[in-house]
Amino acid sequence: MPNVISTNRMTLAYDKGEKEIIRNATFRIKKGEFVFITGPSGSGKSTLLKSFYGQLVPKKGDLVVGGLDMTNVSKKNLQKLRTHLGIIFQDYKLINEWTVAKNIVLPLIIAGYNVDMQQTQAQRLLKHVKLEGKGDMYPLQLSGGEQQRVGVARALSKTPFLILADEPTGNLDEYSSNVIWDLMENACDQLGATVVVVTHRIPTIFNIPYRHFIIENGGIHEVH
Amino acid sequence: MKSIKHHLMFILPLLAILLGVESFMVFGRVTASYGENLKKAYTILVVTRKPMTPEAFRKIDNNIDRVETIKRRSIVEQIAQGMSNISTQEILKSLPQFYTVKLNRYLSNAQIDVIKQHLIRDPNVRRVETFGQAHNANYNLYMLIRAALWMFVGFMVFTSLFLVVKQMEIWQLEHRERMQVMEILGASAMLRSGVLFRIALTDALIAALTTIGVFAFLRYGWVARSEIDLLMRKQDLFFQYKDILILLGIALVIVLVSVVLVSRNVKEVRDV
Repeated sequence: MPNVISTNRMTLAYDKGEKEIIRNATFRIKKGEFVFITGPSGSGKSTLLKSFYGQLVPKKGDLVVGGLDMTNVSKKNLQKLRTHLGIIFQDYKLINEWTVAKNIVLPLIIAGYNVDMQQTQAQRLLKHVKLEGKGDMYPLQLSGGEQQRVGVARALSKTPFLILADEPTGNLDEYSSNVIWDLMENACDQLGATVVVVTHRIPTIFNIPYRHFIIENGGIHEVH
Repeated sequence: MKSIKHHLMFILPLLAILLGVESFMVFGRVTASYGENLKKAYTILVVTRKPMTPEAFRKIDNNIDRVETIKRRSIVEQIAQGMSNISTQEILKSLPQFYTVKLNRYLSNAQIDVIKQHLIRDPNVRRVETFGQAHNANYNLYMLIRAALWMFVGFMVFTSLFLVVKQMEIWQLEHRERMQVMEILGASAMLRSGVLFRIALTDALIAALTTIGVFAFLRYGWVARSEIDLLMRKQDLFFQYKDILILLGIALVIVLVSVVLVSRNVKEVRDV
């Protein structure tokens, strides 16, 4: 299986680079794998995820995502890469003045799909995340769990090759969390997407094989 | 209600800028027309020993436009009523030549004094009369109107631009999250600013069309029916078709600059 993400002695730091968040990280994530990254608060889990979608450029070392060298990527190529990713945030990052359906098809709007295709896909995804009949509502009219399901539907709308999730169940109750984990499992198992999830805690019941990385004191190592 | 308020917060300062610009253009045309009339009415009287051609005058000073000869015969005939024809001819021979000189633009008293000096330096010129006092009063009034207009429009445009900048800051807060989310999901700058651009463009069109409407009404409605002869003869000073293009152009430039500035200022959030 080809690598979707590969790093070699990668160091991540903010601003002037005085404080290094991640040091000398070396690992590979292959196509179709489900990966959990855990670690204490402030350890750099979200920072690591941001480097995968190009919001942070490594200070040292190598990082390749989807075949693109992220240490030296052009703005145009980064934009193109991002349209093939599915990104899920802890705070959902939905556009509150847009309807649920429009939020879901945002990646399709960005990719220039026509309105008919957007509507068809919106209906399919609303059914998939069990939000049928709520397409015309606005995000703030939904519960936290429902909003995160909209976030997951948005991430799946363009069938991404890589899904990056930053604490997707961090703000949710147990029931809503289980629904989200089911959707993520399904995205990896049925759609064949690579899924990288940053979380405090791995769910107790998880039905597909996964890899587990832990970040501690700036270092990253895999738990076997 | 909130949406109308947001639109008005951009439309009103933009409207003030466009009204200021159009007022400036109208008053500019009115004062230019006034200056033209003053220029036409103003003459310098020149007395020369021998006849001079207009070209000779223009060589002395290039501000000289037209030169008209004052016919001496009719004056002499009035003075010499009852005298013999020979005496009239003698008077005519001994009289100098009289000219009225028109200028090609409206000049200050100091500038006219320079022309006077140029003329007097010519050995053929005996006397120059510039009627400086009346001219200076007119010129000062003309300059005062222009200065007052500049100050008024300048203040109006400055204040309105300040309000536009304030509105841009509000836009930045309102659209920051949406633009950031779109950027993370790979949207181009054009697409990210699209919504903002559409809102701003609509507002700019409303402001420009309102300004055009106000001044078109002024020309075709109020002035046309005013029955004030002076205004009716100069209707075109109040609104011209080229003003439509100028106003739409200015509105579009303000919109483009505002949207580009807002888009550039909305950066991706980088927090740990």
